[in-house]
Amino acid sequence: MDDKPELTVNVVTPDGNVYEDTSDLVICKTTQGEIGIMANRLPLLASLAIDEIRVRKGDQQFDEIAVSGGFIEFSNNVLSVISSAAERKENIDAKRAERARQRAQERVKKAKQAHNPDELRRAEVSLRRALNRLNISSH
Amino acid sequence: MSASLQEVKRRISSTKKTGQITAAMQMVSTAKLNQIQKHTTSYQVYASKIRNVITHLAASHLLENVEPAEAVKKDQFNTLSMLKQRPVKKTGLVVITSDRGLVGSYNSNVIKQTLQLISDNHHSQDDIEIVAIGGIGADFFKKRGYDIVYEFRELSDVPTFREVRPIVRTILRMYQSERFDELFVCYNHFVNSLTSTFRGEQMLPISAENIGSEGLEETSSSGYQLQYDTEPSEEAILEVILPQYAESLLYGAMLDAKTSEHASSSTAMRSASDNANDIIASLQLQYNRARQSAITTEITEITGAQAALE
Repeated sequence: MDDKPELTVNVVTPDGNVYEDTSDLVICKTTQGEIGIMANRLPLLASLAIDEIRVRKGDQQFDEIAVSGGFIEFSNNVLSVISSAAERKENIDAKRAERARQRAQERVKKAKQAHNPDELRRAEVSLRRALNRLNISSH
Repeated sequence: MSASLQEVKRRISSTKKTGQITAAMQMVSTAKLNQIQKHTTSYQVYASKIRNVITHLAASHLLENVEPAEAVKKDQFNTLSMLKQRPVKKTGLVVITSDRGLVGSYNSNVIKQTLQLISDNHHSQDDIEIVAIGGIGADFFKKRGYDIVYEFRELSDVPTFREVRPIVRTILRMYQSERFDELFVCYNHFVNSLTSTFRGEQMLPISAENIGSEGLEETSSSGYQLQYDTEPSEEAILEVILPQYAESLLYGAMLDAKTSEHASSSTAMRSASDNANDIIASLQLQYNRARQSAITTEITEITGAQAALE
């Protein structure tokens, strides 16, 4: 681990820094698919899917962070994850996420009945967020 | 004489009590101010990150390229409507005030300057849509017959992004559905704990100027321009970033306004406590004088009586 070049990971949200550490490999899911980022790569900008970011600590250990979209910026060996909401796996409140999921499902149902495509899209996004948090907290 | 002694005494004790209250309120405001300032610094990291990326994309002339042609062509590319200058039929004004008084000239300043802004831009009342955040501004503009499209009260003392997000979303949605064609934000900007200045900034549509002013200097000072790989395309990334940028701008304005509200509340309460102390001092002097003259009269009476007896 020591001889591998490392990069710094920063997860920034409007409510402050959620995560800051160094690692040799970070795996994120962009809107195009998964991408692994290692130190000293070319500068990169990519938009994120609502999914998790995995930061490798040690051989098979990963720190996991739930993000609700946003984007990543990599330059000068610093990876900045800029998202409007992000939570570390340990901090996810499973009960709250579960409640959010139920609420979102209600909204999806209502929007489908009312044939409101805008509302449906938004409801689906919040449902995805809740499911994402639940998913990450459960594994 | 003794009646007035009583009177002065009562006024002293009542002023003291008021002074205690204002002193307590000052301490509360100062504590809130500290709290929100801590929060603001962590927000600024986020804001400057977004601004850097936007500035970078702006620097590669993406904004100019996309602006006229594509935004018109592709209607489904609706977030890029944030870049497009529409002919202005209606102007949206987000006016951020507080919910309660006792904040000195904070509210009157915002309202006065907002009216100034409206008249400077030669808008008539019918062209204005007000988005009122804070009860005092909402009441004021409602009474004047302005069109209030959205009203939000009881923003918490240290607003979190999660709390503000629905408001911000609503505002952006109104812009996209063309309720208004440009958006200004009017609030008090926090300079330091004693001063705040009014800011009336255009926020939407996002133009090269209102990103460029602060951001461009930062990148040029670093000396070189990074060349980014982008995934998927620059346009698609802009589509993600621009709404996020607009959200963060509005949230920043609210944080700034709240900071300045706490600061002016703390200043107002401090000067109230100072005034209370002044009044107490002068009343105390008055009281002592009255007491002294009462004693003098009494002595004169006694010596007079003594003299009469002899």
